[in-house]
Amino acid sequence: MATDDRPDVLVIGAGASGAAVAWRLATAGIGVVCLEQGDWVDARAYPHWQADWELHRHTDWSAEPNVRRLPEDYPVNEQASVISPLMYNAVGGSTIHWSAHFPRFRPSDFRVKSLDGVADDWPIDYATLEPYFDLNDRMMGVAGITGDPAYPPKSPRQTPPIPLDTLGHTIAGGFERLHWHWWPSDSAILTRDYDGRRACVNCGPCDLGCPIGAKASTDITYWPKALAAGARLLTRARVREITLGPDGLADGAIYYDREGRECRQKARAVVLAANGIGTPRLLLNSRSPRFPDGLANRSGLVGRNLMFHPYAMARGVFERPLGGHRGPIGCSIISQEFYETDLARGFVRGYSFQVARGLSPIASANGGSVGDRVPWGRAHRRAYDARFDRTITVAVIGEDLPELHNRVELDPSLTDGNGIPSPRVSYRLSENSRRMLDHGIARAGEVLRAAGAREVASNPLLRAGGWHLMGTARMGRDRATSVVDAEGRSHDVPNLYIVDGSVMVTCAGVNPTSTIQAVALHVADGMIRRRA
Amino acid sequence: MTRARLDAKRAMLVAVLDTLIPAAEGFPESGALALDHVLAIAAASAEAGALLAAALDAIDEAARVGGARGFAEGSAGEREDLLRGVERSHSEAFEALVRHTYDGFYSHPATITRLGLEPGPVQPRGHRIEPAPAPDLARVTARGPIYRRA
Repeated sequence: MATDDRPDVLVIGAGASGAAVAWRLATAGIGVVCLEQGDWVDARAYPHWQADWELHRHTDWSAEPNVRRLPEDYPVNEQASVISPLMYNAVGGSTIHWSAHFPRFRPSDFRVKSLDGVADDWPIDYATLEPYFDLNDRMMGVAGITGDPAYPPKSPRQTPPIPLDTLGHTIAGGFERLHWHWWPSDSAILTRDYDGRRACVNCGPCDLGCPIGAKASTDITYWPKALAAGARLLTRARVREITLGPDGLADGAIYYDREGRECRQKARAVVLAANGIGTPRLLLNSRSPRFPDGLANRSGLVGRNLMFHPYAMARGVFERPLGGHRGPIGCSIISQEFYETDLARGFVRGYSFQVARGLSPIASANGGSVGDRVPWGRAHRRAYDARFDRTITVAVIGEDLPELHNRVELDPSLTDGNGIPSPRVSYRLSENSRRMLDHGIARAGEVLRAAGAREVASNPLLRAGGWHLMGTARMGRDRATSVVDAEGRSHDVPNLYIVDGSVMVTCAGVNPTSTIQAVALHVADGMIRRRA
Repeated sequence: MTRARLDAKRAMLVAVLDTLIPAAEGFPESGALALDHVLAIAAASAEAGALLAAALDAIDEAARVGGARGFAEGSAGEREDLLRGVERSHSEAFEALVRHTYDGFYSHPATITRLGLEPGPVQPRGHRIEPAPAPDLARVTARGPIYRRA
């Protein structure tokens, strides 16, 4: 099914970056159509409204597409990866599921090669992105406090920080005793009403979505404004391939609608915003005589240099109740004491600590992210009661360095519901990352004990921790060593843009969404400038 | 089919659940609270149902091999010993049994209440956090910038 509709720009993917770029372009008067394989999430459908809400975390609301298996999901072959990729396919994308921990990359993160002699520098820097960080903060709404010495000065936060509560004050005491850096997290969760959205009521499980809109997800932040500005959004529209015109420029996409009909959407330019696995999958599926190895892949780097943030988890058990069920699950405190390179530690680059809230009842029994299940049998009751509401979990988020062998390819046999080849992910942990995580676990144990923990358990690598998908279509100045330029434009196809985590040259040691969205807004402004 | 197999061993399943989480400290045993969830999982997922049925079959077989009495008739210690043997010999199926038992037990309103929490949906009520003074960050800021300028 084809139409004569030919907007200025086709955006593929309606998540964190796709929403930002669609809004920015639409408000500049550019015609935008977005194709999203998922649907709108009905606020009434979130599990928070049900008594058995926690059971849904490992079934239909799992962050793992291979567990969730909804019709709009595609399977991922992850047998050759030590980390499982996580994502959500809907308007809002993975911001539906994220914890909304919202740090920025730091200035040194864009100059890794120059400063530390590893990986590569970005073709853009912190100063270039700073106005977009600020703009994005206003669009998403950020709770926090300015003045963090781990960053250059930031613009005022939109609302006061997430309350630390008993749990946060307890672990802050540990950081204070060790004289380490800590700061209340920048969180894309409102603590006051803002921009027509309600404040958080501290219900807890942000990882299952936010039914009241206090947590920023782009279905409630960017998209209403983008649609009001004239952007159009087609849901349950799964793109199979990007098409080229006789001039070698991208001229649209072929997709399947919700009834499974093959459709064509023409456009004058195409923007890919399908995440660090979906984007290379789509490019590799878009083969043609002009691009036999996949669209925009003359460098051979599409799908390569996949970076996750490898996570290690340390959990302390305390003597007194901590009220950890209250408040946003992933947001209380960040520490960047071990962020910048110190080779005396045995590794290059560094990591952050992200302090999470306590474990809910089922997670307490099954061990949460540490995975040490409470024993069954006559020892169960005492062991469970010693743990429940008495734990603090410290996540170690390590900077992963790009490596060619970590990659996304097409699986030769696995397909989605429309018969489109699925991705196959190969990923192994580097020695540098292993040393970094080991250092982080040891230091996390120190801070937990300094805060009063009577015992500490750890998980050296969280398998179900692939929240951040990056690096598989990196940006750079040299077309031989990168896929897109400093403004997200394909070196090979000049009207094809990429704005998601794929373009990241390095991944820093913090959650990436704030930076991904800032890059998307930067790319959008380049498109607007060229059009003018 | 799987649900029927589990129903046929319902009495034994209750005894198994009671052994996994015995009554203690004012909490009831899990046979009373987790049974419905375990049966519902078996009915909803063929994969989970097959694992649960395999676990029960292995427990049944171990009980018969071990003596004339059925699983439910053994002492608490005997039942635990038997289950530990099945845990070793049928680890995947037994792991599923424990996981679904914990899921059912710790999502039950009676358990939630006993833990001191309010049962039911977490929305719209949320949780109240008492207002507190802003955290004292003076020591942290006194260090000055800790990022590298680049």
